[in-house]
Amino acid sequence: MKKSKVFWMYFVAAIIVYAVIQGMITGGQLDQYYSNLLILMSINVILAVSLHLVIGITGQFSIGHAGFLAVGAYISAICTMKFDLPFFAALLVGAIVASVAGLIVGIPSLRLKGDYLAIATLGFAEIIRIIFLNTDYVGGAAGMPINQLTTWTYAFFSLLLTVVVIANFTKSRHGRACVAVREDEIAADAMGINTTYYKVVAFALGSFFAGLAGGLFSHQFFLIQPTQFGFLKSFDILIYVVLGGLGSLSGAIIAAVLLTMVSMYLTDFPETRMIIYSLVLIIVMLYRPSGLMGTKEITDYFKFGKRSKGGNLDDK
Amino acid sequence: MTNNLLLKVENVGIQFGGLKAVQGLSLELFQGELIGLIGPNGAGKTTSFNMLTGVYKPTEGEITFDGKRTNNMSPHQVTKSGVSRTFQNIRLFKEQSVLDNVKVANHSLAKHSIFSSVFRLPSFFSGEAKMEEESIKFLKIFGLDKYKDELAKNLPYGMQRRLEIARALAAGPKLLLLDEPAAGMNPQETKDLMELIALIRKRFDLTILLIEHDMGLVMGICERIYVLDHGQLIADGIPEEIRNNPKVIEAYLGEEVTE
Ligand SMILES: Nc1ncnc2c1ncn2[C@@H]1O[C@H](COP(=O)(O)OP(=O)(O)OP(=O)(O)O)[C@@H](O)[C@H]1O
Ligand SMILES: [Mg+2]
Repeated sequence: MKKSKVFWMYFVAAIIVYAVIQGMITGGQLDQYYSNLLILMSINVILAVSLHLVIGITGQFSIGHAGFLAVGAYISAICTMKFDLPFFAALLVGAIVASVAGLIVGIPSLRLKGDYLAIATLGFAEIIRIIFLNTDYVGGAAGMPINQLTTWTYAFFSLLLTVVVIANFTKSRHGRACVAVREDEIAADAMGINTTYYKVVAFALGSFFAGLAGGLFSHQFFLIQPTQFGFLKSFDILIYVVLGGLGSLSGAIIAAVLLTMVSMYLTDFPETRMIIYSLVLIIVMLYRPSGLMGTKEITDYFKFGKRSKGGNLDDK
Repeated sequence: MTNNLLLKVENVGIQFGGLKAVQGLSLELFQGELIGLIGPNGAGKTTSFNMLTGVYKPTEGEITFDGKRTNNMSPHQVTKSGVSRTFQNIRLFKEQSVLDNVKVANHSLAKHSIFSSVFRLPSFFSGEAKMEEESIKFLKIFGLDKYKDELAKNLPYGMQRRLEIARALAAGPKLLLLDEPAAGMNPQETKDLMELIALIRKRFDLTILLIEHDMGLVMGICERIYVLDHGQLIADGIPEEIRNNPKVIEAYLGEEVTE
């Protein structure tokens, strides 16, 4: 089958990228700084792609993504530090608990629309943060010390899983139903789509991967503190999705990669960091108001001969 | 033609705040009929459709479709039980391709799970292939297959109206509700559309309820007509009776004077 051939081509390419980088890390050509950058990039891309499913694909303006990141981070840390579970299992548990949190938040709040949903999700994320802040078991405000277990291998394969699952989900009858909800909820409902079900599914799936990113995140930085999961973190993730172009998976990925780099280079200039970061955003929004990629995918640009999916009738 | 009662609406009404948008509405639609629903602006025609499809819950009365009470069903449940519709103001999935618009309505045709889709199991490929084939069939009927990869928003207006009907048909209805399907079309497009409606009605064994402003058009194709004015049914009968009904003439004359 032709389509699955393309899929395997991408898959092999991804494995090669992984192996080359892993080789360079073991061989010492890539030092700690760069391998950390790559891991952080992977984590941010996972976050971006998981929120892309909720906002870009399903059109539910959720801005509390850091809440699910926190759930994954703390739960997986508890698994490894308090229960001595293997890292792999801890990541899985963190992601599952985050998706359950997604269900709990999603079922009541996804009935709300637009601004109300945004406020509800933001409020939820704050509640999660405050719960961890006041739980002595996980160190309260002082935080929780954690072994560094995240490696490039874990980061990469988590990223690969996230992208494959979300891309495949999007290109199926389930993903089309989600896009229909985004485009016109009333019409989707009238065409027999259970809109609430799909909103909740997208939300739970998005939360699952945010939780996965959380596990990688907490085991990368030796210490986690509730302050790392405030609303600024939620906005960081939101910015990847908006800047990349709402509805574009590759846009979200590119934006997450670029902004991780910008933000990493700017850590040496903490005073100017926020200013430059904001300037980058303003410039992009001025020149590309619908985001870097608009609603297009990077693959649309490689379909020479074929008309691109986002093309107009008259630009044949 | 069998004489099966498909839709029974008894004394249905809805109130928005103090406004009784529709009251005492009673309709009977038999299997295979093509029925018109007419009335001046603001008469409550679209509101009636919204009640029939679960968008609004009637504040009084009973709606029975195909033997089942649908009053409290949500729209997607009503659709699954066999009622689908088009909208007066086109509501396509603008950023989706023409083909995907139809596929969304074909959603329940295939059964592959989320798991199967995400990991590309065999049931995904067979299910998607079936949906594609079926959706293209509907596009062909409406002459839209050549536009299948265009975004819905890029279609010319008349084609968008057609796509909405194709999409509604793909949802597999027994009863099709069309809310002013010819609005904004030129006479030729309107004529083609009416022929098409007659054709799909035969081919899919449909029952159709049609809202239309163009009296001539409704008189020409509908077997029976219901007339609404100010939320109330003022007449029903065959076109000939409607044409000569003094209440109907008054309701429409009243409108023409104010326009
Ligand atoms: N959600 C709502 N809230 C309040 N009033 C409503 C609502 N929906 C409809 N109405 C009112 O109900 C009345 C009937 O409207 P409706 O849209 O059904 O008319 P119509 O017969 O379809 O007219 P047209 O020919 O203009 O489409 C109008 O007075 C309208 O303002
Ligand atoms: Mg109307």
